[in-house]
Amino acid sequence: MDTHKLIKPLFASSVAAIFTISVPALAEGVSAGTLIENTATATYEDGEGPQTVDSNTVVVRVDELLDVTVTSLDGGPIGADPGEAVLTFEVTNQGNGPEAYELSVNPAIAGNDFDTIVVNIAVDTNGNGTYDPGVDEILTAPEATQVLEADEALTVFVIVTVPDGVVDGQASDIELTAEAVTGIGVPGTVFAGQGVDGGDAIVGPTGADGSAIGSLLVGITSVDLTKSVSVVDPFGGTSAVPGSIATFTIIATVGGSGSVDDLIVADAIPEGTAYADESITLDGADLTDASGDDAGEGSDATGISVDLGTVAGGTVHTVTFDVTID
Amino acid sequence: MNNLKKIVAALLAIGCAAGPLAVNAQELNAVEVSGDVKAVQTSVDESGNETTQLVDPGVIIPGGRLVFGTDYTNNSDESAENFVVTNPLPSAVRLAPNADPDLIVSVDGGETWGTLAALSVTTEDGIARSATHGDVTHVRWTLASIAPGESGRLEYPAIIR
Repeated sequence: MDTHKLIKPLFASSVAAIFTISVPALAEGVSAGTLIENTATATYEDGEGPQTVDSNTVVVRVDELLDVTVTSLDGGPIGADPGEAVLTFEVTNQGNGPEAYELSVNPAIAGNDFDTIVVNIAVDTNGNGTYDPGVDEILTAPEATQVLEADEALTVFVIVTVPDGVVDGQASDIELTAEAVTGIGVPGTVFAGQGVDGGDAIVGPTGADGSAIGSLLVGITSVDLTKSVSVVDPFGGTSAVPGSIATFTIIATVGGSGSVDDLIVADAIPEGTAYADESITLDGADLTDASGDDAGEGSDATGISVDLGTVAGGTVHTVTFDVTID
Repeated sequence: MNNLKKIVAALLAIGCAAGPLAVNAQELNAVEVSGDVKAVQTSVDESGNETTQLVDPGVIIPGGRLVFGTDYTNNSDESAENFVVTNPLPSAVRLAPNADPDLIVSVDGGETWGTLAALSVTTEDGIARSATHGDVTHVRWTLASIAPGESGRLEYPAIIR
């Protein structure tokens, strides 16, 4: 045989060959179970004229790659205090066939200031990215996801309890691990006949398992209110006599590394005094008595209130208001 | 090119061991054409040398290397002239970069032909770019003549997408 001829290309006319195959276009490679079929067509001329002959069709089936990644969807440490905390992860089928993944959580990571107690693993059933108790399915042992198609991602929530006695600023990591239900192992491990359509399943580069760390940071906040009063009497002194004006000062100190929401400083008007209209100040700035136009509202009947909203730890606000002594 | 010759030699050995090719409806044709597929297996010996060999396909996964072969035999007592073998690439594979650069290919479904270096494709936004191995839709070989009794093998390497 002349092997040189085999690899020596020549120009000539040819015939069109018929070939059809349907393969979904996937970033991670052709789908498991896809049939790769190859047929060559030859044309030539002999004494009887032009001839066409097809080769047999050779077929191989694409096997299933087992690959998975897990990532934390939390932008950073989740602020937590004793009680429930929710961490959010994403499990992605990086393989080329449908696969379910068994999930496990390790709350005892080296270096933790404290360890949480794992309550549940839940999947984002309604797909809104937020854990909705009673809506999002809580996985029961063995805690396996539904079958994910190739390239499909699933949002997973890990619900933990932060123990009592933690101190502001302490941190804790938890690790979520996903393992292909078919099996895990060193890349290249073959699970014969356990792939799509009876093909083989092969462990891919990820080892068919993946894990990610989510973090909690304890942010315990405290609110201290300190109230004081100063009196100016009509005669320039400080006696509490009818006609004296008493100025109350409330200092709100928020401590800790977290923040508090909807912090409202409110106070009643003492008996025997009358509220001095339009006397509320917040950090030295005047507020109106009307509700809705700014943070403050006040009246003789209901007293005063100042809505400070969300206040970060380490912040001090000062509220003052005046009353006239009857 | 040396590697390719080795592969060809290895394939010929396999072909001989496999014995006579099946004859069915094609027996009416003077020239018989038979296809097969092999997987490229790379192994590293103790001294770190890489060797590749062609084996029967086992594990077929994205990124795996295959070699598609076509054996031809002229069973008649007359020569076959202008022998052209056209092989559409399965869409699940792309032509491997180690394919013979002189191989005649098409990147437009068999409309136009040439070496890969001579072909270009037009992207969706109308810009022409040089064709790459992944663009190849067909490969083709042309032999001026096959003498009576002559046989040979044509093959192309592919990577599973």
